[in-house]
Amino acid sequence: MWADFSLHHAWLIPLLPALAFAIISFFLLRSPWLAARLAIAAMGTAFLIALGVVWAVGSKGITVEAPFVMKTVWFSMPGLVASMGVLVDPIAAMMLFVVSLISLLVLIYSTGYMTGDPGYARFFAFMSLFAASMLAMVIATNFLQMFVFWELVGLCSYLLIGWYFFKISAREAAKKAFMTTRIGDFGILLGILFLQIAFGTLDFGELAVKVPAYVQQNGVALLTCVALLLFAGPIAKSGQFPLHVWLPDAMEGPTPVSALIHAATMVVAGVYLVARAFAIFSVLPGAMTVIAWLGCFTALFAAAIALTQREIKRILAFSTISQLGYMMLALGVGSLTASMFHLMTHAFFKALLFLGAGSILHALHDKADIFEMGGLRKSMPATCAMMGIAVLAIAGIPPFAGFFSKDEILVAAAHVSTPLYIGASFTAFLTAFYMARLFLVAFFGEENPHNHAHESGLAMLAPMGVLAVFSIIAGIVPFTMGFGDWVRFGPAHHAGIDWGIASASTLIALAGFGLAWAIYGNGARRSDAIVKQVGVLYSLSLNKFYIDEIYQWFNRNIVTGLARVLYWVDLNVVDGIVDGAAQKSGAVGNILRRFQTGQTQHYAALMLMATVMMTLILAITAGAVAGGGKI
Amino acid sequence: MENGGLMHTLAFFLLSGITLAAAMGVVFKRNLVHSAFLLSVTFLGVAGLYMTLQAEFMAAVQALVYSGAVAVLVVIGVMLTHRQQMSRSNPPNKMLLVGALAALSVVGAIVWAILATPWKVGKGSVVTAGDIGRRFLTDFAPPFEAVALLLLAALIGAVVLFKGGKAQS
Amino acid sequence: MNFDALMLEMAVALLALLILVADLLMEPGQSRRKLGYLAIAGLTGLLLVSLGRYGMQGAFFNGLFLQDDYALFFKQTFLIGAILVCLFSLDTVDNLPHSRAEFYVLLLFAVVGMMILASANDLITLYVGIELMTFSFFILVGYVLCETKSTEAAIKYLVLASAASAVMLYGMSLLFGIAGQLSYNALAKGLTASPALIVGGVMVLSGFAFKIAAPPFHMWAPDVYEGAPIPVTALLAMGSKAAGFAAMVRIFAEVFPGTGYPWPLLLLLLSGAAMLVGNLAAIPQTNLKRMLAYSSVAQAGYLLTGMLSGGFAGVKGVLFYLMIYVFANVGAFAVLTAVSRHRNGETIGDIAGLSRKAPVLAVVMTVSLLSMAGIPPLAGFVGKFFLFSSAIDAGYLWIAVLGFVLSMVSVYYYLNVVKSMYLGAPADDRPFEIAMPVRVTAVFAMAATLAMGVYPGPLSQLAETAAKTVFK
Repeated sequence: MWADFSLHHAWLIPLLPALAFAIISFFLLRSPWLAARLAIAAMGTAFLIALGVVWAVGSKGITVEAPFVMKTVWFSMPGLVASMGVLVDPIAAMMLFVVSLISLLVLIYSTGYMTGDPGYARFFAFMSLFAASMLAMVIATNFLQMFVFWELVGLCSYLLIGWYFFKISAREAAKKAFMTTRIGDFGILLGILFLQIAFGTLDFGELAVKVPAYVQQNGVALLTCVALLLFAGPIAKSGQFPLHVWLPDAMEGPTPVSALIHAATMVVAGVYLVARAFAIFSVLPGAMTVIAWLGCFTALFAAAIALTQREIKRILAFSTISQLGYMMLALGVGSLTASMFHLMTHAFFKALLFLGAGSILHALHDKADIFEMGGLRKSMPATCAMMGIAVLAIAGIPPFAGFFSKDEILVAAAHVSTPLYIGASFTAFLTAFYMARLFLVAFFGEENPHNHAHESGLAMLAPMGVLAVFSIIAGIVPFTMGFGDWVRFGPAHHAGIDWGIASASTLIALAGFGLAWAIYGNGARRSDAIVKQVGVLYSLSLNKFYIDEIYQWFNRNIVTGLARVLYWVDLNVVDGIVDGAAQKSGAVGNILRRFQTGQTQHYAALMLMATVMMTLILAITAGAVAGGGKI
Repeated sequence: MENGGLMHTLAFFLLSGITLAAAMGVVFKRNLVHSAFLLSVTFLGVAGLYMTLQAEFMAAVQALVYSGAVAVLVVIGVMLTHRQQMSRSNPPNKMLLVGALAALSVVGAIVWAILATPWKVGKGSVVTAGDIGRRFLTDFAPPFEAVALLLLAALIGAVVLFKGGKAQS
Repeated sequence: MNFDALMLEMAVALLALLILVADLLMEPGQSRRKLGYLAIAGLTGLLLVSLGRYGMQGAFFNGLFLQDDYALFFKQTFLIGAILVCLFSLDTVDNLPHSRAEFYVLLLFAVVGMMILASANDLITLYVGIELMTFSFFILVGYVLCETKSTEAAIKYLVLASAASAVMLYGMSLLFGIAGQLSYNALAKGLTASPALIVGGVMVLSGFAFKIAAPPFHMWAPDVYEGAPIPVTALLAMGSKAAGFAAMVRIFAEVFPGTGYPWPLLLLLLSGAAMLVGNLAAIPQTNLKRMLAYSSVAQAGYLLTGMLSGGFAGVKGVLFYLMIYVFANVGAFAVLTAVSRHRNGETIGDIAGLSRKAPVLAVVMTVSLLSMAGIPPLAGFVGKFFLFSSAIDAGYLWIAVLGFVLSMVSVYYYLNVVKSMYLGAPADDRPFEIAMPVRVTAVFAMAATLAMGVYPGPLSQLAETAAKTVFK
């Protein structure tokens, strides 16, 4: 009953938070209490419907091959029919569940975290819109609809990252996030245009039929280029190398925003897009190879940076980039199941990590350096315990959630290429190390006497508790219930645990923990000696391999130079024309005004003469005059 | 009267002459009262033209409504309006040239249209008031009813404008 | 007789009479707000009833009065426009010095006239419809006789509209002279190519050009818009224009194409002139009503491009655009009503700093103006898209280019208003009171503008269905 209703009203899932956004921003900006309750109620209802959708997918046997589709024409013109609709298949259902759950939890958490912020109600409006855009993107039936909401997600991220707009760094970060992702959006737009031109449709279902046929006839060369254009979007949005630079800076937003961006909404949008369009990517081996290697490299690269960062949210940000690399890697090696599985488990433990970090920052009044925290386990035991669970989950220790999904990825990678497997495994080692480092440094060791930390309130701890539970069970429960039978592409694959790989990855994770303990354990700071020995590597990592600096150099020397030239052209040529046109327009306007004498007789005479003029024009063009009036 | 007969032609030119001369007078007379009376003459001339076309009903309506009511109303309106000197109430103005040009060009276009068009000349049938009334209540009921509304609107409008004028003074 | 075809017209006329009678039963000094609500309720009921009337084909006697989806779409446009205008004029009417109930009566009469125009399938019905509408408007324009501007506007409108009607009537008589018939179907068969057809057709076209305010027949619009009470201006801008188009599209689709003359050329010239004059002359205006008058001239130009193709695609654009223009227009004029009540003026200086005093109204105004300018994702963009693409499809590329360019020009003067609202300093610091009906109308109009811009599908489908019934 509920399942049936939910399935047929799946469009309510994005609509409810969108309505909450509209109502709050038009009527409730001055009543924050009500605004927060409304946003949570809308999101809660959306979550219930999402649950119903998941249930319906299970009970009705909706599969990837036979999705549930409802669509209606958005607008149409000859040659182009754009539709909007709802596409529910196991992948979308899983995403709906994850996104709505995490959005709900983050909203509840925000009621505590954002207390006292002057823009409290506005915050909930934006967060609702953010979640709504993401949810609408998830159920898109075609590329155009997806792109619209994809852009809306980008806009919301801009608004929320720049939340503390009085801080220059926040404004810059918001701009950076927006501009960087725009680069990818440009690619994706070109890709979409090409698909429309080549196939006359943007519908996922139709493309899934037409693309393989096209490949059989015409080969893969052109389509590979298109796929890579499409992939430019995910590269930017999901923070893949080399467009990952915005993600760490995006930490300037309030922590709930970071949690939402990193766990549920923005960054996984890219992964989801590739998954959604997997019918296109999977038939293009070249594109798949690029995705796999880029994912693997990003994973390793970001993990290497995370080793040395000191700000808690930055560490988590690079960890996100690294984990997204994992997901891309999984897609690249052809395992949609592994990628989506990891997306889901990662969403839970990464949201937990961020909310935990938020809890700490809240307690320490935004003191972000982990080396200044020190010994928080005594003052914040609950946060400490839940962060611990998240760390175990992300490091891939069984039976926590991350273990199962990471194992799937490693198995899939090992099947395709050994170097990829080794890269992924080494990343796992680094991940375990830097997460343990974060945990040990922040929670253990001596208490910093300057801090007067206190445990956060229930509004913040309760959502974290829910996430902690999911961080434990979200791996084993789906695994035993046959996640891969539902969320998959192509034939279902029954991944049993490859014991060799599983034990290897567990050992690697434990080794990472061990190394971290050796260096940072018991409040020790034995890192300085090591830093001296590997100075170059250390500063490379600390400075994020100077990617930002390279971009800045490029910007300063090349872009700015080009910009100066263009500016001159714009100022003297384009503006000249425009200003000239504007002046002329204004001048003509003034002349026309003079015609408007206000004299009724003038007007009437003009009308009569115009009638005669029109008669003449028509008579002359029709040749009636030349023919002597005889026709 | 037979169509095309001498009498008919004579009557046509006579009535046309009266109509046109009176119309010129409406425009050029300096006294607005004279203009208004000449307007009534114009209407009567047109009514006469209707007679020559065997449209007796139209002629009657024209004489009754336009000459009898409309023109008289105009005269009363003119006389009730407060003016300094009636003999200069309709002065010529700078619009003469523009107006003449516009009017002449329109006349030119119409004359051209009428002269250059090969008209289908029917035999013409006598249309009685009864025929007209029947058509008003059958085919042309919607416009007929709409005209009824139009008149009601005019009545209401007269009251509204009257009240507005009173509020002004 | 098929009275069902006349159902909506009769119902609106009866509603008007009901209000007229009810007015007599009320105390003289009493507020007539209830009658306004009665009008709104009645029209809304009719609108709901009319929704179920799609697909009904019918004619009242010999096809002189048609009932089809095309006419129905227009009637709904008029009904929606009238409902919204009534809604935001409640307070304006309450403050009239006299004859408050008659305001609604005349407004409804004007709507009946428009509806008749949408259904008219012969010249007499067409003419009577035009006169009913024009006459009601004439009184409404001059409603506040104690204001010199209102009086002047009324006289101008009366004289010029009469002149235009006379020209049109003469044209009709020439057409009748050629064909010997009055109905469109008979005219389509009976009109033979001849100078009289040229002159007659052009004269009829002139009459329409006056109603839709296409240059050089637009000169009345700025003066009359400025002088008339704001709700009347709003109805004049959208209703009169839409009704003119309703009749014009039908006559140009059914009667003139068969005559072999290049009528689209004249439409093209009128369209170009309207876009040019409207957009350029709007730039130096400081009075917002005058600015909107010129803007409405420009809208007529955009709409005319939809008639060039002579196919249903363009007519669909016209229908769609007129409907969304109603909302943009109502939004702008509703805000203007509130501003005018507060400041007793409607210049760009009066609206300055509105964003600080009434942010909701400032947003509505911005959305409405940007929709008129055709900025996506607002409805105006979709409308212009339909219109221009139909013109391009029919081979009239350059008029579409001109339309694009001048739309960009129009952004300038629209944004000037927005700039004044958001960056200008308020002219006074009295608190800004917005009557609830005005607020509701404004927000509703904005919501509709946004909704139809984001999701134009249903309306465009409806417009397409309606447009197809003209091209049987």
